[in-house]
Amino acid sequence: MSEINKAVTVRSMWRKERQLPRFELLGKIMQRKKAKYSFLMMLGIIVIGIIGPWIAPHDPTKTYYEAFMQGPSKQFWLGTDAIGRDILSRLLYGTRVTLTAAVMASAMTFVVGTLIGVTSAYIGGFFDNLIMRIMDVLLALPGIVLALAIVAALGPSQENAMIAIGIASIPGFSILVRGAALSIKESGYVEASRSIGSSNWWIIINQLIPNIANVLIVYTTMFIGGAILSTSALGFIGLGAQPPTPEWGTMLNEGKDYLREAWWLATFPGIAITVVVFTVYMLGDALRDIFDPKA
Amino acid sequence: MTHVLEVSGLTTTFTKNEKAFKVVDDLSLYVRKGEALGIVGESGCGKSVASLSLMRLLGKNGKTEGSILLNGQKILSCSEHEMQNIRGKEMAMIFQEPMTSLNPVLTIGRQMSEGLEKHEGMKRAQSKEKVIELLTQVGIARANEIYHEYPHRLSGGMRQRVMIAMAIACNPKLLIADEPTTALDVTIQAQILQLIQNVRTERGTSLIMITHDLGVVAETCDRVMVMYAGQVIESADVRTLLRNPKHPYTIGLIQSTPHRSKGQKRLYSIAGSVPTPEEYPQGCRFAPRCDKAMPVCLEQNPQLLAVDQASDCRCWLYQEHTKGTAVNA
Ligand SMILES: Nc1ncnc2c1ncn2[C@@H]1O[C@H](COP(=O)(O)OP(=O)(O)O)[C@@H](O)[C@H]1O
Ligand SMILES: [Mg+2]
Repeated sequence: MSEINKAVTVRSMWRKERQLPRFELLGKIMQRKKAKYSFLMMLGIIVIGIIGPWIAPHDPTKTYYEAFMQGPSKQFWLGTDAIGRDILSRLLYGTRVTLTAAVMASAMTFVVGTLIGVTSAYIGGFFDNLIMRIMDVLLALPGIVLALAIVAALGPSQENAMIAIGIASIPGFSILVRGAALSIKESGYVEASRSIGSSNWWIIINQLIPNIANVLIVYTTMFIGGAILSTSALGFIGLGAQPPTPEWGTMLNEGKDYLREAWWLATFPGIAITVVVFTVYMLGDALRDIFDPKA
Repeated sequence: MTHVLEVSGLTTTFTKNEKAFKVVDDLSLYVRKGEALGIVGESGCGKSVASLSLMRLLGKNGKTEGSILLNGQKILSCSEHEMQNIRGKEMAMIFQEPMTSLNPVLTIGRQMSEGLEKHEGMKRAQSKEKVIELLTQVGIARANEIYHEYPHRLSGGMRQRVMIAMAIACNPKLLIADEPTTALDVTIQAQILQLIQNVRTERGTSLIMITHDLGVVAETCDRVMVMYAGQVIESADVRTLLRNPKHPYTIGLIQSTPHRSKGQKRLYSIAGSVPTPEEYPQGCRFAPRCDKAMPVCLEQNPQLLAVDQASDCRCWLYQEHTKGTAVNA
């Protein structure tokens, strides 16, 4: 018994010894219930996004003339829409559309927002003031209104919706990043690094950004959740993906007129959006708990 | 002998709530090649600000005037880019807090190689070799493994060794050590001081040792300047200062330094504390705490003048024609 215990201790010590900080995260996720389930669910959603087109039972744009607005059945598990297309297949294809749009938009927010936030914090003074006042002004408009204005200018399409959502989230993101970077800027190791002649860029890339990686991961996850909602919202009002692209917001819009006669049209895309957004937010919340147990 | 560093009239002003405070006031000093200069004073008297001013590392609200000549180069008229090439290469600094001076998410090797790659144009493989050599030189065993380690696995003493290795990596001509042993255990302190001494003698580096501990100065320095409330109040070679102190503040400092050989009962301490820059008095800044203070001391701040061949002192007691009766005695 004690031999086994010893072996376990030795092995876990060895593991600890070998663990680099960046690999600890996965271990921590797996130790916590909320984090674990939301992470696994997210993984499942991503897998569906990837293999969706292969497991879809039907062509998502094909019209079945014998089956307009049919309820769930053996052939069409989640029913068909107003022009006879299989809803399940459209949902499966749509996972990829929505995820791609949200991730691309968030990636844009991440890159530009991090750059603005960190540079502004590091340079400080007048530059910082100017940038942050501009961000404040942009933030005064709700993100979706800003996104609407941008799409209106660029013209409605999936790509433009993506760009608009990405740009519209930059102000909020960069203000959060700046706050996190400010405390790192004052730290002893940044001063020490400056004292051996490190350039400002080196310090920003190698000292500031890695030290706010935790915060960046949490914020980015949260912003992906927001981006999914915005993608669907733009699709819903017809400024996002254009028909016949199977996009959840667009599907919701197509179903909204038949709530009484054919509830399945709007219900299933609605559930899909809810589940995915819920999962992403849960994951973001769980990650924040892991990184900052006090808050 | 040539002077590595020549500073005259260095004044650093901070602005707080629209008001300007001189935290370092008219500091002049020089350091010869290979020499060690001590700067001593209680905490809060502007030592760290002075050293950061020399490196031009102060934040945006600190303004530095005067002249700093490092090997003849005018530091205060250098651009930030030129400063980046000077820091680490011509002069480097060791900080007080080894626990916070290393980045927790970068390996020791990564942090140490930056200076070498920047100043010496080394590639990663070369700099790795050099870093391991440096780590070994500063007395770190298993340097090969430490190279890949993150700082949290190192003790305070080891981190300070790493900081020293980092500072001397590119062979700077001047090393500024700001209380390098204050945050360490007593047993480690002696080792770190010895290490700094070794580095100096091996490389002929000039040193400015900043400390609040006269014992450290006695062990490591050739000359010493005593600072009080942002000003130098006495300056002499170490022997003279310790044997024949002039300024009442210096005398108090010496009395309040624990002495190993004498079995002391209770340690003397100077009454009161260092005023903050906002409340520097109009006369001599030490007068409110001085038991030899005279009326003139409260009215006018004395000059730093040569008392004899060996020492300079800023005190009315030594500025002839002003002898009077003490007020606080
Ligand atoms: N960045 C700053 N802004 C404003 N005041 C400062 C700043 N840094 C230091 N000071 C003030 O300067 C004085 C001297 O500080 P410091 O040089 O750290 O003292 P020492 O190193 O001798 O203990 C202190 O009163 C401190 O409050
Ligand atoms: Mg200090």
